[in-house]
Amino acid sequence: MVDHVGKVVLPGEIVTGFKASEKTSKVILGPGLRQETETIRATKPGILRHKEPNIYWVDSHQKRYIPVKGDTVLGIVTAKAGDIFRVDVGSSDQASLPYVAFEAATKRNRPDVKVGDIVYCKFVEANKDMEGEVVCIDSSGKSGGLGVIGRDAGYLFQVPINLTRKVLSPDCELFGSLGKNMRYETAVGMNGRIWVKAKTVVETIAITNAICASEYMTNTEIKNMCKRLADSMAGF
Amino acid sequence: MADDFKYGPHEKDVRPDGRELGEFRRTVLNIGCITTAEGSALVKLGNTTIMCGIKAELAAPKPAEPDRGFIVPNVQLTPLCSPHFRPGPPSEQAQVMSQFIAEVIKNSGCVDCQNLCVVPGKLVWVLHCDLMCLDYDGNVYDTAVLALLAAFRNTRLPHVEEKEEVPEVTMDKTCSLIVSSQPVSSTFSIFDDRILFVDPTVEEEGLATGMVTVVTVGNKLCMVHKPGGSPLKSEQLLTCFDRAFDRSKEVLRLIEETILSVER
Amino acid sequence: MEIPRSSGFQLRHMMCEFGQLSRPDGDVTVFQGDTSVTTAVYGPGEVRMNKEILNKATVETVFKPKSGLPGCAEKMFERTLRNTCETFLLAALHPRSSISIIVQEIQDSGSFLSCCVNSCCLALLDASVAMKFLVAAVTCAIDSEECIILDPTVKQEKDSCAVLTFVFENKDDSILAVYTTGSYTVQQFQQCSQTCGEASKAVFDFYRTSIEKKLSKAT
Repeated sequence: MVDHVGKVVLPGEIVTGFKASEKTSKVILGPGLRQETETIRATKPGILRHKEPNIYWVDSHQKRYIPVKGDTVLGIVTAKAGDIFRVDVGSSDQASLPYVAFEAATKRNRPDVKVGDIVYCKFVEANKDMEGEVVCIDSSGKSGGLGVIGRDAGYLFQVPINLTRKVLSPDCELFGSLGKNMRYETAVGMNGRIWVKAKTVVETIAITNAICASEYMTNTEIKNMCKRLADSMAGF
Repeated sequence: MADDFKYGPHEKDVRPDGRELGEFRRTVLNIGCITTAEGSALVKLGNTTIMCGIKAELAAPKPAEPDRGFIVPNVQLTPLCSPHFRPGPPSEQAQVMSQFIAEVIKNSGCVDCQNLCVVPGKLVWVLHCDLMCLDYDGNVYDTAVLALLAAFRNTRLPHVEEKEEVPEVTMDKTCSLIVSSQPVSSTFSIFDDRILFVDPTVEEEGLATGMVTVVTVGNKLCMVHKPGGSPLKSEQLLTCFDRAFDRSKEVLRLIEETILSVER
Repeated sequence: MEIPRSSGFQLRHMMCEFGQLSRPDGDVTVFQGDTSVTTAVYGPGEVRMNKEILNKATVETVFKPKSGLPGCAEKMFERTLRNTCETFLLAALHPRSSISIIVQEIQDSGSFLSCCVNSCCLALLDASVAMKFLVAAVTCAIDSEECIILDPTVKQEKDSCAVLTFVFENKDDSILAVYTTGSYTVQQFQQCSQTCGEASKAVFDFYRTSIEKKLSKAT
């Protein structure tokens, strides 16, 4: 049995050496893996990852977003239609956002959302055969940080999806190191969109560039970059 | 559902119309049915009907190839043959078929363009091969290649004499077009990634997961066309070739018989 | 200039570059000897209403020749590429969406179809579109002395009596697509398919090293 974990797999390759969980004797296959009768094959190129006890997936580099239930994403409201908003989240289909899916919104009390607004929302329905549905409230009816953001200022930009996964991972020190020298707000969507707002436009752009540049950097490199960035910002 | 229904019969090596997997539909050939064309043929393969007419025209050759004539195949798939086709410019499928026919002519060398030369550097024949599909019930490739070959065999070119730089065409004296080889096409469909069967109808084409077209000429192959679809092992391709060679014998016999009966 | 090969049983040097274009979801420029092709992939993205398929993604291919307008030959080319890609893509995972593949000829120095198929496969890998398996295309020519030349150049193609292109998959080495010109015997066909099948391993290895190189940047 070859252990593929941590190695590059290509579509069509048979992946073996799974460790099932002791309790259920089951293996959970994540994105990029597919069962074909008796064998398990990769469907995407990438590095096979494993999380204890029994979760496996392929970490691949992708630009296009494919909706997944539970993902928080940054969308742009493109239209109002009846009692829903249409939201562009960068996938093949637009998602729908009901009027009432905002904090304290009722049939009477409609939320203040305009076409062109950026919304930070969460997928509650993401199925390949149905239109995706996003909401801006959590299960207890609170906004929890979701909702319309940055109407007055801020900058939204697109990065590869694996970069958003990287900056959101607890191991990544990018946001912490950046925050040591500058004050800023940010929202990272799993659809590869990042929104940043700092005190000045110059700082906003600097942070944007730092995020984009960090794609292939290690933590030490990121720290060095942030230091250099802070020095040059001070020189302005 | 149609899929479920079809699954049963194919599993037992019998097809919806009662044919076996390796059985072609009844082939009917009529030669020389268009009197205004230099050569023509009408082929029916089951319901699929294709008419081929060959018109010859005189033209000046390309300066780079002064002794070569031209063969211009053109396939028309009009709304007449299937509601699937729309009126207007040729569909992608028609263009692909025209290209396929052009490649069959080129690869098999059935009509040598050098034989179409009248006066080198000045006058050559252009053969317009118009293939018109009248009824589309699957497997148009095989039908078209058969119609083309039969029409070529039927083609008689008028005698051209050049008198004081002016060509004079005499219709009384004609000579047959030299057909140096006889390409025969056989199409196979793949069902459910594993079952191979010949001569699909339009319904079977819709359900097939892949197609292979094999064109034989004499004891050689001149075209193996498999544009994607279910993967095949090379052994499976070999069985296709065997069946294609058998089919070519059947088809050539049919052409000879028809030509004889027309001459009589 | 053509790099001399030690024998006709070897593929020309292959090279590829990812990410030269910023807009597409995946793109690659593949060099196979002097033959080179750039391919871009968009998808799964929005689909035009009239091309929407309810249970799977619509795969579109556009082939752009180096100069001039595309004609019948290019249409056939597009169709071969599209049918090939449709077979190995997991189109059922993305219903009502479109995957478009744009192939731009840069330079045709022989074995062009195989270079295009390989570039499509690499571009789809770059875009991380879900696939059932990978494909590798290899072209070979049979010369007038009945010798098989792998990965022929334009001149070798012209001088040969038959040119055969095979597309193999990496699951159980079956033949996914065949495209041939010229005439040949069944035996020659078998020999060619065997030779190309062996050579396709080198193409799969090339895919692996290319993707490993791309991913090593990320970690």
